Amino acid sequence: MEAVVVDAGSKLLKAGFAVPDHPPSMIIPTQMKCLPADESSTDASLHEIIVDPVIRGFISDWDAMEDLLDHVLYNGLGWEIGNEGQILFADPLSTPKAAREQLVQLMFERFNISGFYASDQAVLSLYAIGRISGCTVDIGHGKMDIATVIEGAVQQISSRRFELGGLDLTNLLAQELGKSYPLVNLSISDVEQIKEQYACCAEDDDAYEKLQLSCPEEQHTLPDGQVIKIGRERYTVGEALFQPSILGLQAHGVVEQLVHCISTVSSENHRQLLENTVLCGGTASMSGFEDRFQKEASLCSSAIRPCVVKPPEYMPENLSKFSAWVGGAIIAKVVFPQNQHVTKADYDETGPSIVHRKCY
Amino acid sequence: MSWQLYIDDHLMADIEGNHLTSAAIVGHDGSVWAQSANFPQFKPDEITGIMNDFENPGSLAPTGLYLGGTKYMVIQGEAGAVIRGKKGPGGVTLKKTNQALIIGIYDEPMTPGQCNMVVEKIGDYLVDQGL
Repeated sequence: MEAVVVDAGSKLLKAGFAVPDHPPSMIIPTQMKCLPADESSTDASLHEIIVDPVIRGFISDWDAMEDLLDHVLYNGLGWEIGNEGQILFADPLSTPKAAREQLVQLMFERFNISGFYASDQAVLSLYAIGRISGCTVDIGHGKMDIATVIEGAVQQISSRRFELGGLDLTNLLAQELGKSYPLVNLSISDVEQIKEQYACCAEDDDAYEKLQLSCPEEQHTLPDGQVIKIGRERYTVGEALFQPSILGLQAHGVVEQLVHCISTVSSENHRQLLENTVLCGGTASMSGFEDRFQKEASLCSSAIRPCVVKPPEYMPENLSKFSAWVGGAIIAKVVFPQNQHVTKADYDETGPSIVHRKCY
Repeated sequence: MSWQLYIDDHLMADIEGNHLTSAAIVGHDGSVWAQSANFPQFKPDEITGIMNDFENPGSLAPTGLYLGGTKYMVIQGEAGAVIRGKKGPGGVTLKKTNQALIIGIYDEPMTPGQCNMVVEKIGDYLVDQGL
């Protein structure tokens, strides 16, 4: 039986058997609804609580995560109790040691799996495009990671994590639309949909300024039938990644942060990192983002000029949305047959801390 | 129990068919307690640098970890306890105990995980013994 690869994001959970050239078989929202145990109340909708097991990339609600994984593994992927297989997890950058240990413990003790491996999402995204060294700019729903990887090992010193992602952009869009349409009642999920459909990046700073003054508007019909026009708000959302001051943050844009990270690495590795820059994550697949990124990068001094790499042709479309998962599928084919993973025997002998020794 | 036995019977023993290339147990001051036959000759300031990295994790990362003149790229270790270095397919794991440093150098086909298991297990045992 193939190993299972799971990449639990703040918004979407990607899971499937390790078949590298295909997208994951399950891409489901991580958000869950908690229904009350007693059905005695007639108005059940008031008691529904929205639960987010993964917040800003890290697993925060372990009970909810357990239920979610139960559903994914047994219902979604068809595992049978008593015949569990091997599993590979993609962790975000700077995952706390305790979180990794807790995950291993959950896997071996609750799910009784036979083998476990965990790897950083940055390393996996690079494997997906066929590289072992490079930088990844992973902009997800809850967080943004800029990581430098050399020969399959993340350089912790020069990698950075930001608590900025699609979620903040959605809130920004909601705020902007609220200004233009104060009377319309927009729910967060509606705004999320609008963002995914319309958000894009202007070609450069000047183009953005011009668009702020006059911009073609598009009509959008809300689920409740009202029609709103979306104009320059869509570019504001894309611009926020390059000018975080729009979000009220005192930080540099994404390209400058990347250059800063690369410059902290010893200079003999600079070329390797710059020539192999990967953009991944759901938010990074916004239309116009890659072109804008490349343009801003070419404005940098020629000593440190990042160059974005294209994924190989045999990889599925939209690879950036699940590149960490595909990388996981690739590495699962190598790690598990060669017994480099944490086996049940290893776990029983040493306990959860074994994950720090064997997995990196 | 002599320190050399720790090297010969435990650190250099086979694990899943592979064994370390060389190993040593060295005091915090750089004095050799025991070493395997082909362990590289290291310099005192390399040990100083290593001890400094245990105190201030991350200090070796920009320049690299040097041991016996060989340069290793520092990868994720455990602050104050383990330093791991990588050189192509091989590398080194250094575990700090109360009075000593356990050093294990590995090359392919041994995996980093296997080296960690061997070195850190001996290290944990010595820490339990108070050494």
